[in-house]
Amino acid sequence: MNISKSAEPPKLLSCEQIDRSFGGLKALNGVSLSVSRGEIFGLVGPNGSGKTTMVNAITGFYPPDAGKVIFNGRDITGIKPYLIARLGVARTFQNLALFKGMSVLDNILLGRHVHMKPGVLSTALYWWMARKEEVANRQFVEEIIDFLQLQSARDEPVETIPIGLQKRVELARALVAEPTFLILDEPMAGMNQEEKEYMARFILDARDEMGVTVFLIEHHMDVVTGICDRMIALSYGEMLAEGSPKEVITHPRVIEAYLGGSH
Amino acid sequence: MFYRQAAIRHTSYDQTKKLYPIPFDKWLVVAVLLVALLAPFMMSGLYLNSYLLPWVIWSTAALSLNLLMGYAGQIHLGYAAVMAIGAYSSVHAMRLGVPFEFALILGGATAMIIGVGFGFTALRVKGLYLAISTLAVQYLVDWVLTHVPAIGGGTQATLQTPTPALLGFEITTDIGRYYLAFGWCALVTIFMLNVKRTGLGRALIAVREKDYAASVLGVNSYYYKLIAFAVSSFFGGVTGAILAFTFFGAVTPEQYSIDISIQILAMVVVGGLGSVLGSFFGAGFILLAPLFLNNMVTGMAEAYDFGVSRSILSHIPLILYGGLIMLFLLFEPLGLAKIYDNIRKYFLVWPFGFSRR
Ligand SMILES: Nc1ncnc2c1ncn2[C@@H]1O[C@H](COP(=O)(O)OP(=O)(O)OP(=O)(O)O)[C@@H](O)[C@H]1O
Ligand SMILES: [Mg+2]
Repeated sequence: MNISKSAEPPKLLSCEQIDRSFGGLKALNGVSLSVSRGEIFGLVGPNGSGKTTMVNAITGFYPPDAGKVIFNGRDITGIKPYLIARLGVARTFQNLALFKGMSVLDNILLGRHVHMKPGVLSTALYWWMARKEEVANRQFVEEIIDFLQLQSARDEPVETIPIGLQKRVELARALVAEPTFLILDEPMAGMNQEEKEYMARFILDARDEMGVTVFLIEHHMDVVTGICDRMIALSYGEMLAEGSPKEVITHPRVIEAYLGGSH
Repeated sequence: MFYRQAAIRHTSYDQTKKLYPIPFDKWLVVAVLLVALLAPFMMSGLYLNSYLLPWVIWSTAALSLNLLMGYAGQIHLGYAAVMAIGAYSSVHAMRLGVPFEFALILGGATAMIIGVGFGFTALRVKGLYLAISTLAVQYLVDWVLTHVPAIGGGTQATLQTPTPALLGFEITTDIGRYYLAFGWCALVTIFMLNVKRTGLGRALIAVREKDYAASVLGVNSYYYKLIAFAVSSFFGGVTGAILAFTFFGAVTPEQYSIDISIQILAMVVVGGLGSVLGSFFGAGFILLAPLFLNNMVTGMAEAYDFGVSRSILSHIPLILYGGLIMLFLLFEPLGLAKIYDNIRKYFLVWPFGFSRR
């Protein structure tokens, strides 16, 4: 799908000097980072260090006060979230954002929205128009359902299944969009060891089999160091360190932030 | 039992999207359809005109409003005004020589254009403010109808509707008018059933439930809310015209007053937000309830010999609607449709009461 042009940008995402304040609070202060194609990039930091704010700045929810977000060679700073989504950026939320009252299947199908053209006419003429599209997209969704082993939960109302599974449904919903860039905001929060291992496996497989570039925020250091290629650490909106997981977690400033901080 | 999912094995994704996968449901629908189609020949003209016809028309109105309220989650307190725009536009269009079919579409389109133009501004505000601005539409339309003779026909005026004609065949009988209303109702019903199973319905629900989560999936929430406003207004406009042509035979401002808006709102809430079946239940219930209550009150007044003034009697329906809306919102927000669904599911899993489905 991505025909490489002569001057392909070397980085999939680069953020330059991002600032963002809430009232007097500087949630992000001159944060720069860049993510290469095909890597799993980690973002760590104590609670309240600005990780989610960074994601919101990238995905357009809280446009940065200053700085630039370049995705795929294109300046997306301040663009509306739904337009950024259409460029191939998918994300999950730290506090689940599934649609209550809908089945697991319908929730995941919504992830296909960017590939579908739902409209009034195609709905009115369902048998001649929408039907084919619905079935084709259902087929793709079923592949992801198999991949993430969600078969048994498929028809359940989404709010009735355990949190661990709900996190997986949200991952499925993000993956069915066939994103180039996938942002996961603490996908393993509240999971037990086994669920964490499954999730780590899914993330690795998504990268390896679907070619997705992953941006991972996670508190579980064992996971982050285990699956990330590179990472950065934040504290109070400032960048502390950048590099390989080993370099970052052994960096004196990072150790200090974690020991002296809230964690 | 009637309801069994056993032995229903889907072998394609297409089959799973059937409207009625359970045979009993399907036959129930077929039976109801047959009764509705044969009804004009089985009941007197009086019953047809005073019960079945209004029920069909008001169900259509409730369905149309349900797209906006149930799916998109946007309240509308002036829906009767939308119907009025459709009715007046199509009556005027026909008087100017436009054929009936086109006059209907024109009525719907006018309602849609005004509805969308209004939605553009209304959607910038949320919740209570949206409610108030929809109310403003009602008063605006009321005012125009009573103060602009060119549109309303002057004070105290009743505009007679011209005789409707489909493909050149004039519709002059009760039965013909019933089938006209029924046909329109069927179209709207089919559309609403389809909304449930396509990306359109999913996007609308997503926007209603969590617009930020919808936006990361690429759903433009403003666009979908506008779509809901547009389609709902179009349907409402045509339904308003159908009401004038088949039921009243005329258009007057009172037919589309604020009381009527509250009545449709009650139909949607009592029937069940977002439910197709519920819209039919709600319309039936709201049409019949005041009749029962009026009879009860007059009966009691006679039995216990206390006087009831006409003005109190005329206010009973409104009090009742208000009470019903509150009761349902408090105790069964998904309305009569949910109650029906509970009963159906009870049979579906019988005798395993512990199982949810
Ligand atoms: N919408 C907002 N309004 C005001 N302050 C906010 C808002 N969002 C975040 N903040 C503040 O910005 C700072 C960074 O918050 P953020 O959610 O980005 O932290 P985080 O690193 O994701 O923390 P956690 O590990 O708890 O998820 C916090 O002090 C937080 O209170
Ligand atoms: Mg966070």
